[in-house]
Amino acid sequence: MGDIKLTADTLKPVPVWRRFLVPGIILILLILVPVFASEYVVYVAVLAIIYAMLAGSYDLTTGYAGPLTFCHGAFYGLGAYASALLTIKASFPFWIAFPISGILVFIFAFIIGYPALKLKGHYFAVTTFFFGYFVYLVLLNSAKLTGGPMGLRGIQAPESFFGINFATLQGSYYLTLFFAVLFLGFLYFLVNSGFGRMLVAIRENEDLAEATGINTALFKVLAFSLGAAIAGMTGSLFAHFFRLLHPTTFAWMTSEMIVIMALVGGLGTLIGPIIGAFIVTFILEIMRFAPEYRYIIWSLALIIILIIEPAGLMGIVRRLQRRKR
Amino acid sequence: MSVLLEVINLRKEFGGVVAVNDNNFVVEQGSRIGIIGPNGAGKTTTFNMICGAFKPTAGKILFQGKEIQGQRPHTISRLGIGRTFQNVRAFGSLSVYEHVLTGILAHDLKLIPTKEQRERVETILEMTNLVKFRNTTVKDLTIALQRKIELATALGTNPKLLLLDENMAGLTYVEINETLELLRKVNKEMGMTLIVVEHIMKVIMELCEKIIVLNYGKKIAEGNPHEVANNKEVIEAYLGEESQYA
Repeated sequence: MGDIKLTADTLKPVPVWRRFLVPGIILILLILVPVFASEYVVYVAVLAIIYAMLAGSYDLTTGYAGPLTFCHGAFYGLGAYASALLTIKASFPFWIAFPISGILVFIFAFIIGYPALKLKGHYFAVTTFFFGYFVYLVLLNSAKLTGGPMGLRGIQAPESFFGINFATLQGSYYLTLFFAVLFLGFLYFLVNSGFGRMLVAIRENEDLAEATGINTALFKVLAFSLGAAIAGMTGSLFAHFFRLLHPTTFAWMTSEMIVIMALVGGLGTLIGPIIGAFIVTFILEIMRFAPEYRYIIWSLALIIILIIEPAGLMGIVRRLQRRKR
Repeated sequence: MSVLLEVINLRKEFGGVVAVNDNNFVVEQGSRIGIIGPNGAGKTTTFNMICGAFKPTAGKILFQGKEIQGQRPHTISRLGIGRTFQNVRAFGSLSVYEHVLTGILAHDLKLIPTKEQRERVETILEMTNLVKFRNTTVKDLTIALQRKIELATALGTNPKLLLLDENMAGLTYVEINETLELLRKVNKEMGMTLIVVEHIMKVIMELCEKIIVLNYGKKIAEGNPHEVANNKEVIEAYLGEESQYA
């Protein structure tokens, strides 16, 4: 074992201030975006932040706990429609509809996830794929409730708060950014906590995790439902930002984009999928001149990335760090 | 000595195959039991039923007087039965330190590990002689070391009964002696009861005070190492029957 030199001093823990240095700088830049950027850029940034929340919450389920899911876009849509309908039909204020949409999606995901997570690997992945499609069909065909293919109109912007008008683009931007920091901060705490360690143990070896005393079924469904709940609340934010909902926004393509973002950034790193979301949103924007081709080009790029570095962007970063040592 | 584990008429069938055939045995508190037998004798199946991985077809398993058969593995682990697997299993991407910490947290989940929990990891790493690998990724280590990490993680769950399924397979002579010493220590100092399945006779003969011999799912002998080694049926099971024409 002569060549194993990984002792305590080669893997020194990174000091806390350095760990938060890069996210801190990024956060300050994001806060400054509406000050110097055009309306168009701010608008795209809102979408990018929404995608970052989706990819981050997706990482909790698939990156940390393990099961591959293809229905994150469906939870996003359920949250969006739940929140929109609560405000329109039941005239709830946004600030109540927003948490309720999270709770509803959590309960829904728990009910779906509990039996479905008894399936393993591909069988579970296929189930989530069909669940996602099922949600899309329900949204599309319940025309009386959701407006179906005509879309759902008449959604109001969140009520003003401390004099901030959330009907403006700037207001929406800061609202989205605030909740992104809150949710992603919560996810960061969660994946680094004892709870996150249980999830990683399940991902690494479910039999051993179970034999070690971890209630694998419960932790998996909790990770699934928590990820879904955050996606649901993100949907609520989107609904009251965009103020027009259409089922295709939450169809298969969205779920797939979330998977791609997480893969590009690197599953199971949290920061990776967040960066991945920004990169993918950016590339999709600059390729707007060829909307039919961008998915093809993008799929090709994904295949190449996965061949070069299956651990995504964070895998490349880690490899470079190791070389530096 | 009080009885820790009692197995009554335990039976497991896979389709038409009887893997474990109405076995009975008793494990006393603080004892060191060996289970031996040729391949396919039902040793691992017996372990899997005690740990909850398999549901017995019939029979009872009493742990501290309570029936535990058919319960989920994590429930049984929490009652105080730890195990290691025949084919080594590990949380590959974790460091050795995190691996052992996971075992401790699994039984006493804290969002942020307490100081005592972190200190217990250090104690276990020292006890198992893994300190120098504490920050190494588990999957980069040899199978022999991974077996040791599995054992260390099981020790972290503080089991009353520890089941070791060929934990010393593939280890060198020196490593076997080291593990034997560790097992004697946890048995004596922490009062941990051990059940060991092992093909290495040195381990069984030196460690165990009682040996149970299985063949084709049926218990054929039980006794101390000396009795078992001289049992006619055991010799036949291992070496084949004496030819009638001899």
